[in-house]
Parts: sequence; C-alpha cells; structure tokens
Amino acid sequence: MTPTYPKWSVSAIEGVKKTTMTMFNSRKDVQFYEIGVFDESWKPIPFVTSYRILKVDYLSVVNFDVYIRTRDIKDTEYICSLSKLRENGTNLTMMATKICSRFK
Amino acid sequence: MKKLLITIALMLGATTAYAENIDISGTVESRCTVNTDTPGYYGNPNAYTLTTLPASAGQEPIVRFDVTLADAYFAQVSYPTSFSSSPSLPDTVAWSGAVTVDQTGSADMSGYQAASTTTGSMRQYALTVAGATWFKSTSVVAYGGGASKAFPGGAYKAVVLAECIAQ
Repeated sequence: MTPTYPKWSVSAIEGVKKTTMTMFNSRKDVQFYEIGVFDESWKPIPFVTSYRILKVDYLSVVNFDVYIRTRDIKDTEYICSLSKLRENGTNLTMMATKICSRFK
Repeated sequence: MKKLLITIALMLGATTAYAENIDISGTVESRCTVNTDTPGYYGNPNAYTLTTLPASAGQEPIVRFDVTLADAYFAQVSYPTSFSSSPSLPDTVAWSGAVTVDQTGSADMSGYQAASTTTGSMRQYALTVAGATWFKSTSVVAYGGGASKAFPGGAYKAVVLAECIAQ
C-alpha cells in the first residue's frame, strides 16, 4: 500500500479526519483485501471506508479514503490490508499477506 | 502571397509569445509487494508426521518481497501453527518450523538472516536494501504427542502469513 507514511487531512465532517490510500494487487490468486486500522499494540481502532473488504483485480490499482475520529488520531499507528483467501480445492499451503502503512 | 506570409509570421510569433515552461514534478513513494513464489505442500514421511521438507517429499512455500526504498519496511514471515482445513484431530498436534532467507536480489542483503529476530513462530527482517528477497517457511507437524499416533486420512492445509510493515 502507498503511501508508506500517510498523513491525516481535513474531511468534510467536523471531528473526522481522512487519509487517502492506494492499493495495488500483484497476486493473481487473490481478489479481496480487508482494511484494518490499529494502534501501536495492534488493537483495532474504529474507522470508516466505503467498503471494509475491497475488490482489487489482479494488477489493478484502487484508491480509497479512510476516515477516523480526530480524538483517535493520536493512538493510530497502522493502516493494513490483509488478503482474503478462498478455498482453492488443492492441497497446497496458502499464503496470507498483510501490508501495513505507518503514521509517524 | 505577401499577406499570407505576414499572417503566418504573426501566428508563429503569437505561438512563441504564449509558450510556457512546464515543470515536471514527481515524488518517490516506497511500495512493498508480497507474492507467492512457490506454493508449499506437506509430505508424509511416516504415519504421524507431516512436513514441507523436500527430503520427505514435501515442498517449502517461498514468498517474495519487493520493496522500492531501503529502510522503509520490515518483512515478517511466520510458519503455520494450525491447519486451515483438516480432518478432525482429537489428539495433540505439535507444530514446529523455521523461516529462512532463500534468495536475495542483491549481495548487500546477505546479512538479513543473521540480523533477523523471532517472536514465536514469526521471524522479522529489516529490509535495509531496496529490491527483491525470497523467504522460505518450513513446517513440521507431529501428531499424538509422545505416543506418535497416525494422522487420520484426509487433506491437510495450512496458511503461511507474510507481512510487510512500515518501519
């Protein structure tokens, strides 16, 4: 995901800030990614996106906004995408991938 | 003809007068991509062991990390500690494994394994050089505790987690 080190910006809603993220899917075997926002201890932080699970076709790019309450900003450390795996009917070991950007 | 030439000259002059310098700007954003290079599968060297070791007819899963900027990400790769699908297993399942650097895209990455740290089943690498690195996850599963009971017949599948975390 990019940016690696995102920044919060003002949104149209009072008390809420937003940041825009970009996701690129380089995995042919994965189409869906779940977005998560976490603090330093990897505890989840409430947030809003258009969809929590995004469909990103192979080799395509999706931009999405993440909205968060201003009072939660000081605790927010990571925005992550986690690949959602599907049973593929083979006996091969599957690979879950997670990519996280960090607020500095 | 003379008027035509004057008109063309004026047009050219006008074009020159409106020409502007156009700046080209750009920013470099680091990006991390993670891909499955080789899917893994379990070999079954005896009734009570499943392993991805090639010597036991298994295959170790290999994951490839690509980063475009140095010192921006940690790679974290885990070996599995549970099956994502399997027959019912009422007895004890013992999990062990290891994560190692399989290949590097640059000789400067040769110190990755020595500098890595572990937490439980997860090994963390600081990606200090831009480029590609391949990591291998080895898994060994034994059934029945000390009694070494036979695994029930069926398909066994596990998930390896590969994470790329901004530093």
